Amino acid sequence: MELKKLTTADLEQVMRLENALFESEAWSSKTMAAELSAANSFYIGVFGLELLGYAGLRVSPGDFASDVLTIGVSKDQQGKGIGRRLMAELLAFAKRSGSEQVFLEVKESNAAAIALYKSLGFEQIDLRKKYYQPSGENAVVMKLLIDQPVVLGIESSCDETGVGIVRGNRLLANALHSSMDEHAKYGGVVPEVAARAHLEALSPTLDKALSDAGISMDQVDAIAVANGPGLAGALMVGIGAAKGLAVATGKPLYAVNHLVGHVGADVLERGAVELPTIALLVSGGHTSLLLVRDLLDDVVLLGETIDDAAGEAFDKVARVLGLSYPGGPQIDKQAADGNPKAIKFPRGLTLPKDLVEHKYDFSFSGLKTAVARYVEKAQAEGLEISKSDVAASFREAVIDVLLTKAISACEEYKIPRLLLGGGVVANARLREEAKRRCDNRGIELRIPRFSLCTDNGAMIASLGAQLIMSGRKPSGLGFGAESTLPVTSIQTL
Amino acid sequence: MLLSIDTSAGTSAAVIDSNCLSFVSFADPFGHAENIGLVVEKAISEAGISMEQISAIAVARGPAPYTGLRVGMAAATALSKARALPLHGVITLDAIAHSAGVGSLLVTTDAKRRELFAATYKSGKRIDGPLLLTASDLENYAGFELVQVSCDAKLVGEYAKAAFAQGIDLSDLSALYLRSPDVTPSAGKKVSG
Repeated sequence: MELKKLTTADLEQVMRLENALFESEAWSSKTMAAELSAANSFYIGVFGLELLGYAGLRVSPGDFASDVLTIGVSKDQQGKGIGRRLMAELLAFAKRSGSEQVFLEVKESNAAAIALYKSLGFEQIDLRKKYYQPSGENAVVMKLLIDQPVVLGIESSCDETGVGIVRGNRLLANALHSSMDEHAKYGGVVPEVAARAHLEALSPTLDKALSDAGISMDQVDAIAVANGPGLAGALMVGIGAAKGLAVATGKPLYAVNHLVGHVGADVLERGAVELPTIALLVSGGHTSLLLVRDLLDDVVLLGETIDDAAGEAFDKVARVLGLSYPGGPQIDKQAADGNPKAIKFPRGLTLPKDLVEHKYDFSFSGLKTAVARYVEKAQAEGLEISKSDVAASFREAVIDVLLTKAISACEEYKIPRLLLGGGVVANARLREEAKRRCDNRGIELRIPRFSLCTDNGAMIASLGAQLIMSGRKPSGLGFGAESTLPVTSIQTL
Repeated sequence: MLLSIDTSAGTSAAVIDSNCLSFVSFADPFGHAENIGLVVEKAISEAGISMEQISAIAVARGPAPYTGLRVGMAAATALSKARALPLHGVITLDAIAHSAGVGSLLVTTDAKRRELFAATYKSGKRIDGPLLLTASDLENYAGFELVQVSCDAKLVGEYAKAAFAQGIDLSDLSALYLRSPDVTPSAGKKVSG
């Protein structure tokens, strides 16, 4: 016997069994076809020479709940454990999807099925009179509670010390300490300054997360930590802390990828990340374009910056314009009454010859230099420049190239979904332009709330929780910091 | 029972009761993040005890090369939080001096960049330091016996035990770097060449 996920290709076999089993109460072929292909639905079948049994579940991610929609086993195959096997598979999927409860209805007369559900932990919560038509039979409504893991996640890859706590796909706490102010006088993140700040922030940030979540350390089921990519010395503080917690409590430890954590953050917004998706992650440390088909198994790096990160370019151009750090908000403010078309700054890696090798890569170093040249030339010639026009034109160049490439990836891979993450998402103009361009092309745009877009511990906890909910083994204690960890390495074992 | 952790040179952990029950050390000077969990777990198991039996934690807080030092301090901080245990900070040079006797000592450890972390001791008490010295500064310390050994968790734990008995305050848990971060604020804004 073989168990596999059903698709509309299996419709004919499913309908044969459906009609045989449910007769006048059977779903129509049209309803079944829609069910098999519906988003958030999960149908599986057990096959011998032909389909022997099938079952379907619908997940409502935002409600952290699932409903068993149907289950049926061919009459001559009943009593052989096929129903139990199908149910176990549905429940594993419900758990993996973050459901905290699973509901089902069953005919009051179906004692065998009720006994099976009870043995799996379901309890009766209601009786609906004459629920089934036309037979008029009563329905027993049952509910199963699923314990989702409480995971504490630590993030320290750059200048934010984050400790987040989740239960399954639910956000419980997201405590953050930023050392941004300490970097201001240097005009950029200084690794040693960041690492020192992490150590100092560790204890208070841990305390705050636990107190915000209203739990104590012994209620935490597992620890997760970002072990890369990022600044090695900074990552090591988080790793040291995570290992300390794991050894102290004997709880399992998961080393997860910081960038994939950014993609997973949307789980905490609506209970699931809709997949597949193109993800554009833009911060002071990263500018990466990802193709995500499966959060835990299939993340592909389409391109990334070959020099400065976008956020870094904002910081450097801010300095050229005599604005303070961090540059993003300052440039934004300055650009508010500037003309974005006043100066034609270059769009890096967009020429046909660049696209051959760098189709989805970014480069902002040339843009930064072009802005500097423009400003310095004007000053040398004693000309007045409009800072606002420079800021607006620079910002437009960055946003244009980011979104042009992201949307072209959506189109090439036929994925009508774009997820934004990273600190640069704070830029209102980027969000506005992303919305406009996505709306024009029928692409669904997802932007988690800002506290989940910047570096944070909750996204690390969430990715750890997803691994646990999918039954993945914990990491060993021997992993280290990987400053250039590739996105394909979602968990370091 | 005291659990002590040191990542000032290698990565080591020890369990100390009235005597040292276990001492585990990884010499790798770069593997702190990799080894910190393993070393603590091994120290506990080799002592034949469980984590629940630990009643206090001592950690080396420098001076030492920064990156490794922080790993041990972060782990010790987390351990003490998770188990609600008191955490004590030990100056590496104090721990080394304690193991070297009560004479007039000049204790130094490698501070990289041709410098030394140093402190002087007389009759078991720190007189001067911790501070940074160069090799040529050493001649100013005639009359001091030069002690140049690395710190480890056994020394940290044994010193902490002695310090408790003498009422020495170990409540300072800040890392001792003795140097500012290697960076100067940006002066100019000229970016293009």
